[in-house]
Amino acid sequence: MNPIDKIVFGDNQFFGINHMSQEKAQELAERFFDIKNIFATYELAFNAGVKSVMLNSNDRAREICAYFRDNKSRYADISFYPSLPYPHKYANLISEKGILPAINEVLFTDNSTLGVLGMMAKGGMAVLGKDAIRMMKMLIDVEMNMFKGLNIKAVFLQNIITDLVLGYGVKEIFYEFCEYIRKKYNAIPGLITQNMPYLKSKLEEWGIKEVVICTSFNKIGYLMSPDIQSYIDTADRNNPSDYQLMAMSTLASGAINAREAYDFINAQKIQSVVFGASSARNIEETVKLIRI
Amino acid sequence: MADSKINIGIIGAGRMGITHYSIINSHPDVKIVAVADPSSIVLTMMNKYLSVKTFADYNELFDKVKPDAVLVCTPPGLHHQIIKLAAAKGVHVFSEKPFTIKAADAAELTELYSNNGLVNQVGYVNRFNDIFVKVKQLVDSNVIGKPIRFKSEMFSCTITKQDDSGTWRGAKEKGGGTLFETASHAIDLINLFFGKADKVVGASLNSVYSKNVEDAVSATFLYKTGLSGTLYVNWSDTSYRKPTNKIEIFGTGGRILADQHALKIFLNADNPSLKLKKGWNTLYITDVFRPVPFYVRGNEFTRQLYHFIDCIQKRTKVNECSFADGLKTIQVIEAIYNDFEKNGMF
Repeated sequence: MNPIDKIVFGDNQFFGINHMSQEKAQELAERFFDIKNIFATYELAFNAGVKSVMLNSNDRAREICAYFRDNKSRYADISFYPSLPYPHKYANLISEKGILPAINEVLFTDNSTLGVLGMMAKGGMAVLGKDAIRMMKMLIDVEMNMFKGLNIKAVFLQNIITDLVLGYGVKEIFYEFCEYIRKKYNAIPGLITQNMPYLKSKLEEWGIKEVVICTSFNKIGYLMSPDIQSYIDTADRNNPSDYQLMAMSTLASGAINAREAYDFINAQKIQSVVFGASSARNIEETVKLIRI
Repeated sequence: MADSKINIGIIGAGRMGITHYSIINSHPDVKIVAVADPSSIVLTMMNKYLSVKTFADYNELFDKVKPDAVLVCTPPGLHHQIIKLAAAKGVHVFSEKPFTIKAADAAELTELYSNNGLVNQVGYVNRFNDIFVKVKQLVDSNVIGKPIRFKSEMFSCTITKQDDSGTWRGAKEKGGGTLFETASHAIDLINLFFGKADKVVGASLNSVYSKNVEDAVSATFLYKTGLSGTLYVNWSDTSYRKPTNKIEIFGTGGRILADQHALKIFLNADNPSLKLKKGWNTLYITDVFRPVPFYVRGNEFTRQLYHFIDCIQKRTKVNECSFADGLKTIQVIEAIYNDFEKNGMF
């Protein structure tokens, strides 16, 4: 497994996501409504030495990807770590239409690139619906479409999906996701989770290796199930050639100050950190503090 | 109970049924034995990947697998008939919200479960959110003195297009509309903090996209004690990325503002015993969260189902959101519809 970047620049700050405060989230959403402010923030991160970007496949990511594609010569050394899917898109569609009509819309109505398949699948949803794996692969392709032409290092499954499927304990879904990402996208499969110790134990049981596990990892144990000590112990015993661990939510949405947060993180056996920040000062400080 | 697992059936494998399956399947004392759903695609997938029995008809689920408990996750219009059958079979019930769509039905089910020794719970998940649990503690301990006014709001971008697909969310008789689907959460929080209003007035219902149901609602709640407050809920507000409940409480000693992630409290005087100072104090979810054994979509979703199991195992005596609580919310919803029909129509 190729090593992943030690520092990855995340995107939550751009999309009004803050797990601690909806008020803070609102402020960020307003500021980054103008996409130019997003590009300017990426510039700050690159100037601070960051070489990689994690980006969730939401509607705004489409524009962001287009920008990086259009300016590829300038960003030739930047790696991309897509995370799929944008869960709220599906949640809202499901509320409006029901689960299968929602998937049908994403695959066949919403996406012109799959027009041919759309024609084929008219009346074929019933058949496709019985093959979860094939449906999953098609959904991955739809979501990955926006990242075409970018230098992709790893592709992550969002935690809402990873943890939902983990609860069901279905090996095939994880196995097929990982194989598909390796073969079709020539990238390392990644799984985002809020249940890292349990996910890792299941992956070992199922013999699924060479995966990046991205997970909340912070000093106060926020969004770390079942508890912080299990995370520390699991990381300690981990062989990074089987699983590379990437920490997210290292500041617990701002509940921990950066120095304290990274003193803790630097003492853990992890391979990478994904962080989001929006000011030059915070970005530069974080890059300096991460010493894993 | 200690030496054998609790056998659970899930009725309705839509969004909530699918989520609850994943969460409750992580509980070491639980075995999911069956799923009932009319969709052949859903059942085929479950059969292919999981070791559960599947039924198109929930009647068969009760008869053939004899579950100890069921999670009822169908459209709300079906809850009454399913739970009535569960009562006849002697089965513990966790029902998704809203409990039913008619107050008389909710009252009947509450009565059936009042003395049968079976656990009954309704899925008002905010009662298990760590911030709202804290707000409840603060209100109950009179930190802001006597409550005088409140405001309970909920916003989401659930319905953002003309609804022509004919799902249950667009049909009132099936439990659709923002009053049943989202306002029920905001009303339940009012009931949790202050009890059920003595009178509901000034109801207004708006359509934004839906043809047959309301997309926004507001109403005023009056109490004999002199307390009053307002409700405003909109499920077609695209400025909200995800469902958000907001509560504001003004009392003689200060004011509380809260949502699922943070709580602000303004006090007229220091409160040393709770370490709160005069003026503004802020508590974030990161200050008050309690970790859960398995996380799928928020600590509160796990905690609510684990609480259901705790009650079945008699580890906890009092259910935090029983049928009696669900009944009160439906009574308020009915009062809002009635007030609007009587006073709000031209």
